[in-house]
Amino acid sequence: MGEERIVDGRGLMPPEPMELTLTALDTLPEGEELLLLLYVEPHPLYAILEKNGYAHRSQSRPDGTVEIRIKKRES
Amino acid sequence: MQPGLSFEQAPPISVPFRFFLTAPLFGMAAGLLLLWQGPAALASRWTGVALALTHLIAVGFMLQAMCGAMMQMLPVAAGANIWQPQRVTHLTHAGLTIGTLLLLAGFLSEQALFFRIAVPFMTVSLGAFALIVLVALFRTPAKGPTIIALRIAVFGLIVTISLGATLASAFGWQLALPLTEITHVHAAWGLGGWSLLLVAGVGYLVVPMFQLTPPYPQWFTRSFSVALFFLLAAWSITWLPLQRPDALQVALGSAAALLAVVFAVVTLRLQMQRRRKVTEPTLLFWRLAMACLVAAAAGVILQQLKPGEGEDYAGTPFLLGVLLMVGVFMPVISGMLYKIMPFLNWLHLQKIGKPGLVVPNMRQMIPEARMMMQFRLHLAALALLLAAVPLPLLVYPGALALIASCAWLEWNLVEATRNYARFSRELEERLAQEQVEPSPRPPSLGRG
Repeated sequence: MGEERIVDGRGLMPPEPMELTLTALDTLPEGEELLLLLYVEPHPLYAILEKNGYAHRSQSRPDGTVEIRIKKRES
Repeated sequence: MQPGLSFEQAPPISVPFRFFLTAPLFGMAAGLLLLWQGPAALASRWTGVALALTHLIAVGFMLQAMCGAMMQMLPVAAGANIWQPQRVTHLTHAGLTIGTLLLLAGFLSEQALFFRIAVPFMTVSLGAFALIVLVALFRTPAKGPTIIALRIAVFGLIVTISLGATLASAFGWQLALPLTEITHVHAAWGLGGWSLLLVAGVGYLVVPMFQLTPPYPQWFTRSFSVALFFLLAAWSITWLPLQRPDALQVALGSAAALLAVVFAVVTLRLQMQRRRKVTEPTLLFWRLAMACLVAAAAGVILQQLKPGEGEDYAGTPFLLGVLLMVGVFMPVISGMLYKIMPFLNWLHLQKIGKPGLVVPNMRQMIPEARMMMQFRLHLAALALLLAAVPLPLLVYPGALALIASCAWLEWNLVEATRNYARFSRELEERLAQEQVEPSPRPPSLGRG
């Protein structure tokens, strides 16, 4: 297991967080997780993940940050 | 299998764009009517001209843009899918466009026939839109303050449509109804229960997202929409033809106006805390809108405390109308369109693209200098129209500035549409080239 990969999209202007996330997923090793940090639930990204075989779960922090953990779905 | 991005939740780009491109045309029409009527438009809020002007902006401009944004927002931002988006678009767009023209003809000519056509036509088209959107909002698995605010807002739209249909029926079939009372409640739900709650619900998402501010505080988002709804509902009941409790009506109306001030102040505070201290057009439009919301709410409270003066002085309703429509909602809508259209362009271009093809940046869709120019024109229109209350002749340059602002907005939105067509053509050409010379890169999700 390597270090956890993180995309912090909280200080970025859309669509930068989505672009960075999609690029990061390209090189994400099998079985590893990508952590995306945002202030909103990224519904367009969820639709893309769903269709492309990625599982995601999101959780809100008290400061309003949404943590989205993305992983390739096991086939 | 090629992973290829899927954007099935986003409806075709033509769905929201037709609403966005139509809205400024009605803004220009309002400016032309104001130019034609001159200071006579300020005579009273009850003249046919004043009512025509109000509906050109409220239905022709505001509702048109808001329905388009709703059709797009729900799938993309709230994960809610609209039933038959293409058909609903045709019906709603026709309802808004032809409906606004019917109302305009009815108010200006005072012919009952126009209202008799408008009532069934607008009730069916706009009512169907509101119900379909409400169903989508209740079926989405998404949760949170935006969804709650949007549900209440759409309920507010249904109240507005119902009361509007009642009023138009009274004009169409000469029904003896308490028109003044119904009009007050119709306007309050249209501007507060629908428009302001929609702006707030969308603002919870887009202010932090596009202006890079901290999120809206939870104490505020949890209570604002529900509190405004109950205040408006209670205030509306005080207008029923009973022994009217005046003090209670003033207290409830003032409390609702104060709540609007809280929304404006919270938003302005968040914008001061934004992480990138860049001053761009959308931020300026929002700030202008929030400042005008504070001023309009103060005006509403003062008018309620001294109701007699407002009735005699025709300038007061004109002032409040200009503050709310030209000062609050037109700017916030313009500012949002400058984010929504470039974002939709980008999203839909991604759909055409293929791994390895770089999609143009959002900032390439509408030149910033041109958005700033429209902001200046709109600010001039607002200042001149407000100044026309004490100096009525200023209504002429005010009307000209309003026409110029809306024409400039239309030009900017047409530019965004043309850029989408240009960039999608370029992407398709490059895609065709790549098929002739296949890229050595493996298929990927990223576009860079």
